[in-house]
Amino acid sequence: MIRKPLRPLARILEARERGENPDAIERENRRLRHEDMRDRARSRAEGRLLMLAVMFFCAFSVIGARMGMLAASEPEEPRAQASGHSIIASRADIVDRRGRVLATNMETHSLYAHPQQMVEPERAARELARIFPDLEEERLLKDFSGDRKFLWVKRKLSPEQMQAVHDIGEPGLLFGPREMRLYPNGALASHVLGGAGFGREGVHSAEVVGTAGIEKFHDDLLRDPAREGAPLELSLDLSVQAAAERVLHAGMVMMNARGAASVLMDVQTGEIISIVSLPDFDPNDRPNPPTQGLPSDSPLFNRAVQGVYELGSTFKILTAAQAMDLGLVGPQTVIDTSPPFKVGGFRIGEFDNKNYGKATVEQIIVKSSNRGTGKMALAIGPTRQQEFLKSMGLFDPVPLEIVEARGGKPLIPQRWGDLSTVTISYGHGISTSPLHLAAAYAAIANGGILVKPTLLKQAGPVSGTRVMSPEAAEASRVMLRKVVTEGTASFAEVPGYHIGGKTGTADKPKEKGGGYYKDKVIATFAAIFPAHAPRYALVVTLDEPVETSGEKPRRTAGWTAVPVAAEMVTRIAPLLGLRPDYRDPLEQTLTSTSE
Amino acid sequence: MSYLEYNVKTVPSGWRKALHLNWPLVLLLTAVAGVGFLMLYSVAGGSFSPWAEPQMKRFALGLAVMFIVAMVPIWFWRSMSLVAYLGALFLLVLVEFFGTIGMGAQRWIDLGFMRLQPSELMKITLVMFLAAYYDWLPLNKTSRPLWVLLPVLIILLPTALVLTQPDLGTAILLVTGGGLLMFLAGVHWAYFGTVIAAGAGGIWLVFESRGTDWQLLKDYQFRRIDTFLDPSSDPLGAGYHITQAKIAMGSGGWTGRGFMQGTQSRLNFLPEKHTDFIFNTLAEEFGFIGGFSLLLLYVLVLVFCIVSALQNRDRFSSLLILGIGLTFFLYFAVNMSMVMGLAPVVGVPLPMVSYGGSAMLVLMVAFGLVQSAHIHRPR
Repeated sequence: MIRKPLRPLARILEARERGENPDAIERENRRLRHEDMRDRARSRAEGRLLMLAVMFFCAFSVIGARMGMLAASEPEEPRAQASGHSIIASRADIVDRRGRVLATNMETHSLYAHPQQMVEPERAARELARIFPDLEEERLLKDFSGDRKFLWVKRKLSPEQMQAVHDIGEPGLLFGPREMRLYPNGALASHVLGGAGFGREGVHSAEVVGTAGIEKFHDDLLRDPAREGAPLELSLDLSVQAAAERVLHAGMVMMNARGAASVLMDVQTGEIISIVSLPDFDPNDRPNPPTQGLPSDSPLFNRAVQGVYELGSTFKILTAAQAMDLGLVGPQTVIDTSPPFKVGGFRIGEFDNKNYGKATVEQIIVKSSNRGTGKMALAIGPTRQQEFLKSMGLFDPVPLEIVEARGGKPLIPQRWGDLSTVTISYGHGISTSPLHLAAAYAAIANGGILVKPTLLKQAGPVSGTRVMSPEAAEASRVMLRKVVTEGTASFAEVPGYHIGGKTGTADKPKEKGGGYYKDKVIATFAAIFPAHAPRYALVVTLDEPVETSGEKPRRTAGWTAVPVAAEMVTRIAPLLGLRPDYRDPLEQTLTSTSE
Repeated sequence: MSYLEYNVKTVPSGWRKALHLNWPLVLLLTAVAGVGFLMLYSVAGGSFSPWAEPQMKRFALGLAVMFIVAMVPIWFWRSMSLVAYLGALFLLVLVEFFGTIGMGAQRWIDLGFMRLQPSELMKITLVMFLAAYYDWLPLNKTSRPLWVLLPVLIILLPTALVLTQPDLGTAILLVTGGGLLMFLAGVHWAYFGTVIAAGAGGIWLVFESRGTDWQLLKDYQFRRIDTFLDPSSDPLGAGYHITQAKIAMGSGGWTGRGFMQGTQSRLNFLPEKHTDFIFNTLAEEFGFIGGFSLLLLYVLVLVFCIVSALQNRDRFSSLLILGIGLTFFLYFAVNMSMVMGLAPVVGVPLPMVSYGGSAMLVLMVAFGLVQSAHIHRPR
């Protein structure tokens, strides 16, 4: 750029000639140059302002357009909770076979603290310790005065406790809604239900997860939102269960037993109508697993399912049934049961060293002869015996719908020789759970078909596998009835309800080392009723019972388990809707078979 | 132009100054504030307390302050600009050490009768000082590197202080406002090109730094950006504001639900419904028509400022008016973009409408300066 000179020589000379001050020309030019510069700056500023104006205009257009867009958008209903909030569907209820509630949910509140928002931490800690005796004031105060921002105080509050905490008036103590699992019947059916606890926990909700029993086994099913809260229907009958528990508990106390178990099963469908294990617990406040002692002594232990015991002479009928099924014997086949009977160098004895002499198979069962049963087993042989017992499901855990069922694996001998064959024929050397036994007896009762025990209500008859011929089952059933009318289970005679069954008394094995206790037994009574057309199988087991009303303590099942089972049938048969029948069932059987 | 160059005789004096006030601008500001009163009355559920009444009192006080400021000759304000800037800077430092903590940030100085927010004050004093600087600086030096560096420091010093509070919104307004003023003052293009390029690189760097040891933004600021980019990613957390705000706009539709009928604000779905998100209440109750009318009012305020600046031959006055207009524009543009989901939520109030003392008073002082420049313009 060529700048205009401030003092152009031509004009200066001219001015000098005219006698003017040439500085005026310079001043004039300086002013012009200055104005020129300012004008250019101004026009540049205006150009920039124009650019900014365009920018403003764009901004307005964008904002206006956005406003219009939002105004035109579909009006959405205001919602308290935005979508994406995970709605934890309510856990399904569990009901018995008649729809009575066994497990449900209750709305409670959890208590948590924001120590930073606390006004009077000391008072809050003091008041909380007063409301909840299990909380320590010092510890609370330490938590509240530290720099923690959040802490749980209580997982579950009763409404009274909540009001009391509310009355403290401490803004740093807050409540969150919390759904908890409630078992309104307390300890009833506790081993089936198991229990539930909290999984993932939040302030506004917590996940309820099953921790044991059917709650854990069917956790997914119970939480499945697709089921829309449809309750899980169990096969249990609440009133039968209650009666069974009460009777069994009374029996356990009277017989001074450490524990007791009973299983009542529908022989056609395999439905478990009642299953009891004592001692029990309250699933609302499930105790912690024991840290010392045997787990089998804990109330949490399910004796009916997890407990495997040598169930003794109750197995004899299985041996007889198989022998008859194979055609080796008939009910009236005579077997010599006199001593000596030695297998593998071991002398097989009888209870109280009795000698039943020559006896029919029926008598062997009725009198409970070890030697007679053993001889039948020898005729069957180890292989066929194993096959039969395996087909009865006695080698594997029962696939019941509670998680504990997996633990009920029967104990069977490693080497299954002749001696094992003989002892197992009368229930020694094999340990199974009472539930196993109930399933086996159900097979005898229903005419030879093994049905799978289940805790879920079945819509109709279920199919099973045939394990013996109907004739063998029928003959076994008659024998079981005679055990009650003529044999060891005479206390099982309940007027109007004809019971068939077999007792079993087995010495308890020592926990340490080998051998058996002389004065500790497992007493079992396995029964079917009504005897003429059985509908239910019942197994009652008492752990270390002693009946002390006589001169010397009596421990055999006939004196302990049988009376308890009889009382139980007396109580539950009417509840099951069975009509009392005072005719002799054996005659009925004869008539029905002769037709 | 130095004030000695004014032909003082042409400037009105005494009460005649009142006749030369830019009265349309006063009316516009009153109208905008009136919209604010209406909305504050509505969000309080049809009650003057707790918001509408104090806001009206503050506006009355603000009008008085505006007139007083307008009466004082503009050359006085120019000579005061350095003092004002240093004073505001001092207050910013003060708030750093003695400020009251509120809403997760340290922003206020408690004066007893009101809580002063020095960052608000800084928005105006920065504009004043920059205008005075460019008025003083010979035009031919405007684009010299050293003389560009100086205003950059003038801008960045308060920005850094504001950022530590932390108040991202105000920091952005300061930098953008100051930068635009430099642009208007005629600083060479190349500087802005460089800064914009560097800014883009900086943004890239900020995102790159996420999750590393030298993370440049706080987590909550990253979350705000995330939420801005995808509000539905966190509808209950940080995205809640914007989701609910958009629902309010949608529910208003074209004509709105009617005065005091806005469910979003009435039922407390809208956060900060009386401050930053008051525009959504307006849009819900008066619809697109209401919202657009307010936007038009703002545009008119801005147009009056620009016209006044163009009429003014004094460099300080015109730069000051434009700077204040720019600040005002940035205020409402950022706020509206924010509440409509066009920009991240940075916490900028809607000027003259949102409830708030400092912001309102400072804006009234600023428009007082605009009026003063208008009255005392060289004729």
